[in-house]
Amino acid sequence: MNIANFSQMLSFIKPELAVSVTILVVVVFDLIFNKNKKIIPYIALLGIVVTGYYVIQQYALSGTAFPTSGKYGMVTVDAFASFFKMIVLIATLCIVIFSYYSDEIIKTQGRLGEYYTLIFGMVLGMFVMISASDLILIYLSMELMSLSSYVLAGFTKLRTRNSEAALKYLIYGAISSGLMLFGISLVYGMTGTTNLYQLNAALQGADVNLYTVGFALILIFAGIGYKISAAPFHFWTPDVYEGAPISITAYLSVASKAAGFALLMRFLKTTFVTYVDPHGSWQLFNIFDWQTLLILISVLTMTLGNFAALWQDNLKRMLAYSSIAHAGYMLLGVLVLTNKGVSAVMFYFFVYLIMNLGAFFVVMIIANKIGSENIDDYDGLGYSSPFLGVTFGIFLVSLTGLPPTAGFIGKLNLFVALLDKQMVVVAVIAVINSVVSLYYYIRVLKHMFLTKRDEKISIPVPMPAFLFILVMATTTIFFGIYFTPITSWAQNAAAILHF
Amino acid sequence: MSLYDVIFYLFALVTLVSAFMVVTTKNIVHAAFYLLFTFFGVAGIYALLGADFIAVVQLMVYVGGILVLILFGVMLTNKITNVQIRSGSTNLVAAAVVIGIFAGALLTMMLNTRWLVNPGKTLITTIPQIGSLLVKQYVLIFELLGILLLIALVGAASIARKEEREK
Repeated sequence: MNIANFSQMLSFIKPELAVSVTILVVVVFDLIFNKNKKIIPYIALLGIVVTGYYVIQQYALSGTAFPTSGKYGMVTVDAFASFFKMIVLIATLCIVIFSYYSDEIIKTQGRLGEYYTLIFGMVLGMFVMISASDLILIYLSMELMSLSSYVLAGFTKLRTRNSEAALKYLIYGAISSGLMLFGISLVYGMTGTTNLYQLNAALQGADVNLYTVGFALILIFAGIGYKISAAPFHFWTPDVYEGAPISITAYLSVASKAAGFALLMRFLKTTFVTYVDPHGSWQLFNIFDWQTLLILISVLTMTLGNFAALWQDNLKRMLAYSSIAHAGYMLLGVLVLTNKGVSAVMFYFFVYLIMNLGAFFVVMIIANKIGSENIDDYDGLGYSSPFLGVTFGIFLVSLTGLPPTAGFIGKLNLFVALLDKQMVVVAVIAVINSVVSLYYYIRVLKHMFLTKRDEKISIPVPMPAFLFILVMATTTIFFGIYFTPITSWAQNAAAILHF
Repeated sequence: MSLYDVIFYLFALVTLVSAFMVVTTKNIVHAAFYLLFTFFGVAGIYALLGADFIAVVQLMVYVGGILVLILFGVMLTNKITNVQIRSGSTNLVAAAVVIGIFAGALLTMMLNTRWLVNPGKTLITTIPQIGSLLVKQYVLIFELLGILLLIALVGAASIARKEEREK
């Protein structure tokens, strides 16, 4: 590997470099000016802006870098990666705003430097995960991301639930990455390579044992399934989401899920697809029936998420189950194994980012004041603070997937992708699931608007927070009516680099 | 059965039996000591495979470092908090069934798969090769590991730090 080549390869990981520099700057700044924590969020914002610049700059770039052997590298940069990196960055931006207003985080002001270091550690892990095309790098990036999120889940040590969340997260995470690593070792034992592009050729060429490959792939999927909280690897989700600080819950539900889905789709397309036919349908070689596995997982995930959410009285817990259900919906776009499905998932993520973070933000603002996320404490809030009530309503309606919100368009895209592949039964199950989900989302609205309570609680909304909620709510409606720019963005970026 | 096989099965037996003892023994200090033999057995298998560097690291890091930390942790927690640390097991039947199925699947897989076999080489030290790979082909992974360690340190510091109460 010569130096000229090396500096050219560095240009492929500019966003990752920017994130790493941000981590170091935050750490060093925290060391030197440890009395002045107020500036750290602004450093974080600056880091996000610079990283965003490089991500946008990379949009037109396409190729792989850092080869270990052969010509294909372990980092792949394409429009698909840039799209997901952008999603992660927007989510991070929102989380910085979240943390600025979150009482839980304000109470731990003394550790703000650690907080942002860990957040950017997660960002780096997710960026690498989105771009990784080598099993070693995939594993390492997942560890990097998990390690940061374990600590963040238990960041505010004032409540016992918090430590419980972190511990549960750690144990489940360790087991699932152990399973994944075992799967990777089996694949390596059969093919002698960890590069996804080389695996594609190796799995096609040699007469590998189908049973062993299937076993190894299920183990690898366990690792990814844990990240996207797909059933039956979802057990950690409700407890961790409920116990973690709400800004971290929101972040886990959007950003780490986006990275997990990006990884899953890249893994599937790079490793198992022989060619993509003119209709954008992926032709997988006959080694493992991904479609059946994904259909099972998807249906199980959404049904379980939706039905378990029906009985939840804690809003964070309810949103946790709802996020499991949404992982199920998004798997629909993956299981069709078409470019159209991929772009539907990407569109859905953009929408999910806005509506889910919006919902979490409202829950946080309310929890700041009343100190609870229990649904009974939301009685009559629609009258005492109509702004929060109405915007929360918009987010929930969008999460259900009703017009005229963006959530409707997102679900519509997924269902259309399904129907294009003639998977009517799966589509019907998904629609029934959406109807079920209506109950628990609307139940919150019922508490807010139809149940009266005597004393009036007024919830203060600071001006920037007010603007943030307003922007989120308007975009939810706006993209429900005028969705063409996002759809075309997602369609253009849906082509995952493939040789 | 060649001498090589005998040594392998010996190490494997040490690893498995002590690992089983780790999870079944009630006394957590005993469990930590059994863990010593598990790590030792694994190190032996590494050495047998010609992975000299990993074997040494396994001994130094796991046996020398982590195990001592675990023992310290157990003893100090006992002394400071007066909490009796005991381990127990629940759901034995369900676990046995799942483990049985999993082990069966593993066994059939191990026996039936045509693994990629590399021709045996004369034993040479692997340290120069590992070093060169880490700063050449795998330099990205090496650097990322550095950041991972930094994050781990920051995380550990954050967990260990006492929460400042509000003034």
